[in-house]
Amino acid sequence: MIDLLSGYAIFSLSTVLVFVALATLLHLQFGLAGIVNFGVVGFWGLGMYAFGILLLNFQLPYFVALILAVAIVALVAFVLGWVVLDLDSQAQLVATLAFAAVIADLVTTEKWLTKGVVGLGTVPHPFGGAQSALWLLLILLVLTVGVIVYARLLGRSPFGRLLAAIRDNEVLARNLGKDTSRAKLIFFTLTSAGMGLFGALSAPVRQFLTPDLLGPGVTFSVWIALIVGGKRWPLGGLLGVLLTIFVFDFLIETYLRVPSDWAQIIPILKLMLYGVTLVLVLLFRPFGLLGDRRQPTSHL
Amino acid sequence: MSVVTSALVLGLIEAAPLVLAAMGFTLIYYLNGFTNVAFAENITFGAFFAVIFTSILGLDFYLSIIPASLLSGAVSVLTYLCIFRPALRRGVGPTEMIILSVGLSFALRYGARLIFGGDLYYFDTVSPEYYAFLGVGVTSFQITALVLVAVLASLLYVFIYRTRYGEMMRALANNEELALASGINPTLVSVLIWFIAGVAGGLAGVFFGVFSFVNTLVGWNLILIVIMISIIGGVGSIRGALIASVVVGIVTSSISLVATPLYGEVLLLVLFIAFLKIRQMRARA
Repeated sequence: MIDLLSGYAIFSLSTVLVFVALATLLHLQFGLAGIVNFGVVGFWGLGMYAFGILLLNFQLPYFVALILAVAIVALVAFVLGWVVLDLDSQAQLVATLAFAAVIADLVTTEKWLTKGVVGLGTVPHPFGGAQSALWLLLILLVLTVGVIVYARLLGRSPFGRLLAAIRDNEVLARNLGKDTSRAKLIFFTLTSAGMGLFGALSAPVRQFLTPDLLGPGVTFSVWIALIVGGKRWPLGGLLGVLLTIFVFDFLIETYLRVPSDWAQIIPILKLMLYGVTLVLVLLFRPFGLLGDRRQPTSHL
Repeated sequence: MSVVTSALVLGLIEAAPLVLAAMGFTLIYYLNGFTNVAFAENITFGAFFAVIFTSILGLDFYLSIIPASLLSGAVSVLTYLCIFRPALRRGVGPTEMIILSVGLSFALRYGARLIFGGDLYYFDTVSPEYYAFLGVGVTSFQITALVLVAVLASLLYVFIYRTRYGEMMRALANNEELALASGINPTLVSVLIWFIAGVAGGLAGVFFGVFSFVNTLVGWNLILIVIMISIIGGVGSIRGALIASVVVGIVTSSISLVATPLYGEVLLLVLFIAFLKIRQMRARA
């Protein structure tokens, strides 16, 4: 019998929570505001590495490093958003994908700062003591719930309605006198900085940072979770993560005893099944499990 | 002077697979109006088909190109008929089509990974002969690839801009209802275009593979550059894709002459993002 909250279980649950938060933030960007962000791993990874570097290389106090790391991500998101947000969705997709590739490349090349493929470590937990990992899990839980509550409140607020209007008909919203570019830029900066925050908090979860954490699989996992759960619903990210990442990364990897030959196949099989699921959902339930079969009628 | 000629010669060699991939990718975009990220797997599959024919079945490399490219075309048609056509008919929007194609791309890539593993494959070919061309060392494969690509690209160009089927395709892409009213069979033309695009993608994979190696990430590593090229060339423009891929090939090889590969990629991607912004600002002005 395995202890429910063994060290590995805490690690997996923390990872799952980070994905729930990322998927909910992506719901805000894509589901609510219609911004196609395929650079999720870039913002997350930048937050993670910036925090690790500020903490370990520059010896800054824990929470100063955390705040500075999030500020760096916000600044980068602001510049990238200024460049890409008024482009069409294809250009947005490629530009954000390119941004994530640039971050992964730079983390690999700038060995003097990131230690490259050797790895940067060890990032300590925020609180010491025997239960330090549990404390981190609790912080992640509180913050993740905070993001979901924020998503729910925002959907009903005037700013949320403005974002939905931009998504559905930006020209109309602009002609009604709304500064749509500004609204998108503020919102993109804020939500991407959120991804950076969860990246920074992933650093102590991972403890040891290597460039291979920044592969395209992260962005893809977040997207599949959101699409499966339902992109238009604040709880869509949570449901999607429970059905995909929770099953594979928590239930199977923590509790299923698999022969070691299989252990290498499971991550590959996982990504293949994610792909198949994404295709099936978009063909048969384009608005996710929480969504209707048809497009919800707009009230605008 | 020698730097300029090396950049030109190496750039053209670098561009050879890119030209085919970009033209194939752009054909699909032009006809159906969405970014097909799963085109990456078309490139990968082409390379693997050729590996199977040469290494496992012992066929001559040049001979194996033919069945490998035909099979890639068939795979492309299959993805169209089984996935993309039903999705288009269900009214899936352009953004969702991109995500759908990303899903298919992952399904195919990791499916291939289950079969072939993460190893690098090399073509079993006789060792190439080396020549000096404008002071730059090139192999016989690279010259053959360059000539073949030039011939194929010209054929494709003539097909699209000078033949009846090319005309039908352009009619269908520009005004579907008018094209249907003129008695054009949309399924036939679409299947033909997806087949040609698949052949072009598969060939791109083969040439890319013979220059370096083949693994299941070949197409994914190339697709970002291919989509970039199609955007720079003006989305849906076959002529633009042709010119842009040659330009990007030369720019890439020029960068790689002075910087390490990863810095080259960073510089190229940053240049591309800047290009998008400048074009948008000029369009507004």
